[in-house]
Amino acid sequence: MIEVGRLVTKIAGRDAGCKAIIVEILDDKYVLLDGETRRRKCNILHIEPLNQKIEIKKNASHEEVAKVLKDIGIETRQTKPKPKTQKSKAKRKTPDQLRVQKEEKRKLRDIFRPKKKEEKAETKEATLEEKAGLVEEKHEHKSEKEEIKPKEKKAAPKKETPKKKE
Amino acid sequence: MPAPRLRSRSLRKLYRKVPGGRTAIHFKRRKPKAPHCSNCGAVLKGIPRELPYKMRSMAKTKKRPERPFGGSLCSRCMRLEMIKRARQ
Repeated sequence: MIEVGRLVTKIAGRDAGCKAIIVEILDDKYVLLDGETRRRKCNILHIEPLNQKIEIKKNASHEEVAKVLKDIGIETRQTKPKPKTQKSKAKRKTPDQLRVQKEEKRKLRDIFRPKKKEEKAETKEATLEEKAGLVEEKHEHKSEKEEIKPKEKKAAPKKETPKKKE
Repeated sequence: MPAPRLRSRSLRKLYRKVPGGRTAIHFKRRKPKAPHCSNCGAVLKGIPRELPYKMRSMAKTKKRPERPFGGSLCSRCMRLEMIKRARQ
């Protein structure tokens, strides 16, 4: 029963219930199927031979099998993967493109950042000035105080000491 | 004493050692019964025995075998059925 061109049904697996043709006998256990199933190796325990037999060459191509089976009214499954549609893949950018990108980014930075910087700078300057002024004033005060204090201190002990002496 | 709603035996008890050292009882819903072949009654393989909320999040291909009658007939009964159909 198991011979090249025999119409069979697949019993097991996800192709179960699909009709196919034996294209080649691989060994005493396995055959090559093609048809409604995928073109695949198959254990003979997983197929049920039917009454029909079709004349095809041994190891016939999928297209030949498809032609023969179309006459009987069985549409074959396309085992070959579909031609891939061209998808836009993310390509690596060339160094020139990267340079341009960086420049654009810098420009954008220049547009957005300076305002903040100016504001900050103004505030900072103001604060700094104030601080500086305060600091200077403080320094001045301190210096004055410092200038004054030592005199007083110096003066005071001098005054005290002579009193004690007196 | 557990809460009144947990005293029924519809929930299963899990004795869990907690970090504090004592054994606490965790109450969980029971898993559903395993599915059976509609022809011979054998337990079907390749179908996870999980609660519905877990089954919902699973892919369709993970919930039943990818073959005709997968999830309702066992593989042996499916093969017999296929042979029967081929011989008609």
